[in-house]
Amino acid sequence: MKTTHDDDKPTGRLAALLLFGVIAIAAIGYLVGINDGVPRQATTETRSSILDIPAPVSIDAQPGEGTLPDEGNLLGAGTQTNATGPVLATSYSEMRRSQTGPTSRWKPTLDQIPQPQFDLFEEFKPSEEEKLQSLAVRASRRAFNGAPPIIPHQVERTDDAACYACHGKGMRIENRVANQMCHPFLANCTQCHASPSPKPFDQYDASVESTFVGLPAPQQGARAFPGAPPTIPHSTWMRDNCLACHGREAGWAGLESTHPWRVNCEQCHAPSATLNQAISSSELAFLPGIPVQSPVTAP
Amino acid sequence: METDRRTLLKGAAMAAATALVSPHSLSLPVLGAEDLPDDIQWNKAPCRFCGTGCHVQVGVQDGRVVAVAGDKAADVNKGLLCVKGYHVGGILYGKDRLTKPLLRRGELFEEISWDEAIETIAQRIMKAPERFAFYGSGQWTIPEGFAAQKFMKGGLSNNHIDPNARLCMASAVTGFLATYGVDEPAGCYADLDECDVLIMWGNNPAEMHPVLFSRVIDRRSKGQKVRLIDIGTRHTRTTDAADDFLMMKPHGDVAIALGIMHLLIANDTYHKAFVEANCAFRALQAENPTLQGEAISFDEFKQRIAKYTPEHVAELSGLSVDQIRMLGDLFANRELKITSLWCMGMNQHTMGTAINSMVHGLHFLSGHFGKPGDSPTSLTGQPSACGTVREVGTLAHALPGGRLIANAEHRAQCEEFWNLPAGRINPTPGYHTVKMFEQFTMPDDQGGDIDTMFVQVTNPGQSLPNLNKLFNDKQNLQDKFLIVSEVYPTATTILADLILPAAMWVEKNGMYGNSERRTQQWFKMIDPPGDARDDCWMTIAIAHRLMELGHPGMKDKDGNFLFRVVSEDGQEVPIWQWEHYYDVNVDKALFEQYRAFTTMKHKNLAPYEEYVKARGLRWPVVEQPDGSWRETKFRFAGFDDPFVAKGREIEFYHSTSNDGRGQIWFHDYQPPPEVPDSEFPLWLCTGRVLEHWHTGTMTRRVSQLNRAMPTAYVEVHPDDAAELNLRQGEVVVVQSRRGMAELPVWIEGRGKPPRGSIFVPFFDESKLINNVTLDDHDPFSKQPDYKKCAARIVRKSAVEVASR
Repeated sequence: MKTTHDDDKPTGRLAALLLFGVIAIAAIGYLVGINDGVPRQATTETRSSILDIPAPVSIDAQPGEGTLPDEGNLLGAGTQTNATGPVLATSYSEMRRSQTGPTSRWKPTLDQIPQPQFDLFEEFKPSEEEKLQSLAVRASRRAFNGAPPIIPHQVERTDDAACYACHGKGMRIENRVANQMCHPFLANCTQCHASPSPKPFDQYDASVESTFVGLPAPQQGARAFPGAPPTIPHSTWMRDNCLACHGREAGWAGLESTHPWRVNCEQCHAPSATLNQAISSSELAFLPGIPVQSPVTAP
Repeated sequence: METDRRTLLKGAAMAAATALVSPHSLSLPVLGAEDLPDDIQWNKAPCRFCGTGCHVQVGVQDGRVVAVAGDKAADVNKGLLCVKGYHVGGILYGKDRLTKPLLRRGELFEEISWDEAIETIAQRIMKAPERFAFYGSGQWTIPEGFAAQKFMKGGLSNNHIDPNARLCMASAVTGFLATYGVDEPAGCYADLDECDVLIMWGNNPAEMHPVLFSRVIDRRSKGQKVRLIDIGTRHTRTTDAADDFLMMKPHGDVAIALGIMHLLIANDTYHKAFVEANCAFRALQAENPTLQGEAISFDEFKQRIAKYTPEHVAELSGLSVDQIRMLGDLFANRELKITSLWCMGMNQHTMGTAINSMVHGLHFLSGHFGKPGDSPTSLTGQPSACGTVREVGTLAHALPGGRLIANAEHRAQCEEFWNLPAGRINPTPGYHTVKMFEQFTMPDDQGGDIDTMFVQVTNPGQSLPNLNKLFNDKQNLQDKFLIVSEVYPTATTILADLILPAAMWVEKNGMYGNSERRTQQWFKMIDPPGDARDDCWMTIAIAHRLMELGHPGMKDKDGNFLFRVVSEDGQEVPIWQWEHYYDVNVDKALFEQYRAFTTMKHKNLAPYEEYVKARGLRWPVVEQPDGSWRETKFRFAGFDDPFVAKGREIEFYHSTSNDGRGQIWFHDYQPPPEVPDSEFPLWLCTGRVLEHWHTGTMTRRVSQLNRAMPTAYVEVHPDDAAELNLRQGEVVVVQSRRGMAELPVWIEGRGKPPRGSIFVPFFDESKLINNVTLDDHDPFSKQPDYKKCAARIVRKSAVEVASR
């Protein structure tokens, strides 16, 4: 009897252990799964209560970072930044929701991203092939020449500061370019620039069957004679910053100015009053012609 | 090398060709025009969408719209547009444009000729003219609305004509009538350039009126200070830019307005001089209340409003006591210029008339009225809700120029203007929208006395509230006949018996009237596709066929056709024949006839040709001694309005108390008709998004816009989502006592409702949220409340289990 009982004991213990393991995994799985799919704002309150750490110091309060507010968030740096204490490890339960990124010790700003340097006084020969490529890309992002381009990338935030962080001065990282705004600062970017489908709906079929054909972009301005500076073939209304497209820093490949040292563009390139809706036709007047008496022919 | 240069030059010439324009009577000016090929023609038109009334320049090449630019000469938008406006050209070119009249034969439709279509309609009307109803729109052009109005009231002696604007701004109208004695705003958009404080009452202009919104916030980037206060039921893009966000409970606006007025009186900070000179007090009668109400004394007003202490208001509205006091102090400050802005939040409200009146009253009581920047401003959602509905009066109870069906003198005036025999106009008001559709979807033997309905320029199958009650029932009724004039297949055409293909926007001549009393004009620039024709022509062609069939109402008292238009040489032009419709400018003929109606209520309009020259003019437009026409920016204000008596600073010259005073109204707070309970625990609010306009039939056919928002959704608070175990993007069922809609969940979406509250936009015809909304409406304006009802969210799996 006793021996049999003793023989059974290890098996029973193993079963209990197994059972415990199964229950534990199920419980963890349940706790993890219960919130699955529900994004939570990574608010400091929830973090603090879970981890019992002091509330993080505001990002704005850190020295030397006054230029671009919230740039930490732009780069996905939302983790707690304890300015003085040690960097806290993220707990496993929080890991799925925590944003990865730089710590308070090392925090990049957009300014620190190295930008390619160009020689302002070097004559530049834009590539015709790149120009056609650029025009094709530009055309794919707007309904017609002159339409505000759609936003070609996913956006998390639609406030001006978020857009301005990259598009304010323009930026180039490898072959990715964030164009500079070609118009003066306007405060409601998404008023004109359509964003892509919001994340939860990006799998929806958004295709539209339409026969609309938009005005194509001009390929070049008209020249009065070979060698004359071409006129500006597009409206400069809302496109008054020439370098946004024609600059080498963050412009379009193939559309760059051949003479980057000249910066007063309209000195030589005439805009179109028509396209710019510049003046009303009633103001267009010339003095009457000079009254010249027709020569009296001798009989 | 040589070939290279040649291609380059050729390219340059082609580029110049595409970029350049030709002179045209209305086109943009052309410098050095002689070297420009006749290629793109630019012409002005108001935007097709909202009530802001931006002007666009439309670029037409080879008979097609190829480009659109903001019109720099337009005072409304100053060259800027919104994402819908820039893409407005695309709405003409959806692949499924309707191009042929289609008659229902069982489940299918048969292509028929226009003659057959007009004959079918005329026969239906002839059989029972009194059982016919005309459902129109705030997107009707002014001449279209005027023609429909004359056809119904002056021709058929039938007042069953109402527009979709009943669902959109009827409460704004009753608010103005109750307060000023005459409809439409006193101020204009210039208030937005001047105000120090902008209060948005349940309003999200960042998405719904973006050009006006950026006009305000761009002032900040110029270094000006303007404080934005957002009073709303959910966090929106407007909230992002606001200085203060006051999150209120649904219906809380009524309590807030009462609370501020109470504080102004309790603290003795109201503007005594302004009130004494310009205001009187009003409240509803205890029995049989009317829109005009009854006069009460200031003491009585004070007594009635006494219970709306900040503490009580905080309880009703959900604001904190401090926030209510902050608003009270703000209005008490005479140094500030305060503009209030509202749209559907206050209009689609079972207390719509009350809250509209009281926000006006609040501005009166505090004296924030009558100076640029100090103004209560109501916005509209449709391009001509003001021009066509409110001014032409295409409502069941109204006649053109602010006249009323119920007023014998007004009827007689209209009969005279229209040269009709006395007594032609029926003295009984017709059915308002909700009633009209109730009668249409009710079987004859149960009292449904509307059999034939003609719908123009609107989509009631999607936009009516409580669709299961007001629209979908039509499906099972054999004796009802629905005629729909449309540009695309819609939720309405699904149940139509006859579908007429319509011309739209710059495919026809037109005139609109925007939110700031601005009347705008445009010319036809391109031909409509296939057999599509003007809505105005349809009305005239039906009228003419009825005349041929012997309907006596289609002739005036001299025996002439109701819509007789003569050419310059005095010959009648057969405008009922499509081939001859554009032989004359029918719009101009109708508009010139309509102008005569507008002076009674001092909404004077200029001759048609003045509007051709202008980018719209704000009425009253009054002729000056030098023969020029002057528009009016600030109505009732002595410094600008020519109809204010000399020497008066402010005069409400159509005052209901007949003494030039505006009315400060008291209305008791009434709870909403339906509040969340254990069964339906969530508040449901509906509305729009930036990229889509109303029922989305136009904007969803533009790829740039549809890509930005490919589906309707239900915004849910994260805690509610967690409680209901909803995943981001999961399709759920939103249910109410009236119906259901399936929608994907959006947590932390574009708008962020508070806990216990959800939001659904109504643009998506595949996810009809108006199956869920309720049809309870304001007692005076008859405008339904789309902004609040009780709903619940059920996971699809649970619905499937329950249905097993």
